[in-house]
Formats: sequence, structure tokens, C-alpha cells
Amino acid sequence: MRQKFVALAETGDPAIRRELVEAHLGLAEYLARRFSHRGEPVDDLVQVSSMALLKAVDRFDPGRGVEFSTYATHTIAGELKRHFRDKGWAVRAPRRMQELYLTLGDSIGRLSQELGRSPTIAELAAETRVSEEEVLEALEAGQAYRLASLDAPAPGDDEGESLASHLGDEDPRMSAAEERATLSPLIQALPPRQQLILHLRFFEGLTQLEIAKRLGISQMHVSRLLARSLAELRTAAEQS
Amino acid sequence: MPGSDEVRLSAPATTELPRLARLTASGLACRLGFSYDEVEDLRLAIDELCFSLIGTQGRPGVVHLMFTLDDETLEVEGTLESGERGPDPVPSGLSRKILEALVDDHEVRRNGRDQLTFWMRKRRLQLAG
Repeated sequence: MRQKFVALAETGDPAIRRELVEAHLGLAEYLARRFSHRGEPVDDLVQVSSMALLKAVDRFDPGRGVEFSTYATHTIAGELKRHFRDKGWAVRAPRRMQELYLTLGDSIGRLSQELGRSPTIAELAAETRVSEEEVLEALEAGQAYRLASLDAPAPGDDEGESLASHLGDEDPRMSAAEERATLSPLIQALPPRQQLILHLRFFEGLTQLEIAKRLGISQMHVSRLLARSLAELRTAAEQS
Repeated sequence: MPGSDEVRLSAPATTELPRLARLTASGLACRLGFSYDEVEDLRLAIDELCFSLIGTQGRPGVVHLMFTLDDETLEVEGTLESGERGPDPVPSGLSRKILEALVDDHEVRRNGRDQLTFWMRKRRLQLAG
């Protein structure tokens, strides 16, 4: 294993990097599960620790005489702790706003269908019988859901309609992967579904509403996935 | 605020800043009749631009935000006054690509020795239905 790290340091070969990451995914998952009693979905924690693993693989210096597993454990645990600490800073949304957020998910879907376009905030306010400010506040409160499990149905989604089921086959549009990789290798560390949605929004120029229609999920879920993906990319960019 | 076309807000360059900026921008966009789609794009753009000034962890200093609106356009300018010279802003290719999709125009630049500035403009689409 040490030889592989030496080879990676010398060549930067992405195949070796991938191999090393895959060989230690079990460690990342193990550490994520150790934090799972704190009320965060395990999937999200695994994602945080997997990103930290990538960082550990890239930064590990095999010449220092420390085992990679020791180094990676330290890095990943630090990242998981930071994840919880950062989350603690988030503004906690009042329950009423959380409920309004859920109601808005339904209203956005219904109005988009009726109007054939994305509704205005004023139309959403009228539909849900609250003020425009409350609509905006609820959307802001929705940010708090960013870390919620993305496998769970989002407001307005058809029950049982899993996003993952849309991504079972290799999407032909993913042939632009090279362009994305050139712009940011960090994108490749995201789950495939987030990669696809980023691709559709930023490389194919589809609107959030169009993406929602194409994938058969709610627009609110698309928003949430985009916000989350960009936040993850920013964090990863800062750490790389 | 009839007749008013400029809103200014100054806040510490902390992690709370993007939330304040998002709320203000979306409130003004709402006045202009932006759609939900456009407001969500605007919120993502504001996040990306705030990141270019203060990163994900915040920086020492103050950010001055100026929101300017006319009948169908919202412009947002943000300036970080840090009192120290940080690294020059070099928005990644990805960041530029993202912002190109979200807003009509944008720019991130150094503005003097200890100031970083972003600017963006987003125009409301004409409603079809």
C-alpha cells in the first residue's frame, strides 16, 4: 500500500488515486457510522467522510513514517466534527416555517403545472395565503434541509419515485464529463445524481423547473440538490 | 419603498453574511416579480459570490452590499473591507461557469489594496403565462 502512495506522489496517476480511495472507503464509512447517533442521516455523514478521505489520500506523505490509516482517521474524524460544528451555526428554522416550506413544495409543483412556467413569489404567497416575506423566509428555512437525506422524498415528489432510479443507466449527456473534469476534478467526487443535476443546470443550461420535469422530481428537490452540491464544491475547493 | 432603487447593507464578513445577502436579494427580486426559478438562481449566485469574498469560514472585516434595482433588473455589488491584503480573487473556471448560468453578468475583482469586490446583474424574464 505504501508503494502505491509513493507512486501516487510521483505520478499523480488518477487510477492509483481511485484505487487508494476505494481501498479505504470502508474506513470512511466506519468512521461516519461512529457519528451516526447525533441525528444526522448516515448517508450524509458517509459523504462528508468520503470527501475527507479524498483529501487525506491527496495530502498523505508516505515519507513521514505514519500509517495512512492513522493519518486518514485523524483527517476524517476532524472533518466529521467540523461538519457538526458548522451545522450548529445554522439558524434553526421555526417549526411554522418548516411546515410552510413543505406546503410550498406542493404549491410550486401545482402552480408550475397550471401556469406552464415557474410561479412568482407573489403567486406562491397568494396560493399558500401567507405574505411574500414569509414565503422567502420559508425558502431560507429550507436551507436547513440541505443536509437532510437526499434519498428521502422531498416536498412535492411522487412517493416512491427515487432519483437514483433515473440514474441507473449511464446518461449519454455525461459524455461532457471531460469538460467538467477540466473545470473541476472536485465534481467527480460528488455522487452521480448530483453530478447529473449540476451538468443539466450549468453545462446544458436547463432551468431548475426543466430539470425537475426531466427527472420527475420536485423543483424544490432540484434546488436543494444544487445548493448542497455547490456548497460541497466550495468546501472542497477551499480545502484542496 | 416607492421611488427607492438602492438598498445598502453592511455586515461583518462572517458565515452569517450569505444568509443576510440572500434574504435581502430575494426580497428585492420579489418586488420585481422574479419567479421562484429566478429567485432560487439568485440565491445560489449570491452564495457563490459571497464565497469569492469571504470563503466558507468568513474573514476579518466588513462586507458592504449594495442592491440596485430598476423595473426588471437587480444588481448586487459586494465589497469586502478587510484591512489586510488577501490573495487576489481568481474565480475558478467552474465558478465562472456556474455564475454564467445563474445571472446575466458578473465580475469579481480586487478594488484597491485591501478591498475585494463582486458585482452581478440579473434580469427578470417576461412572464409567459
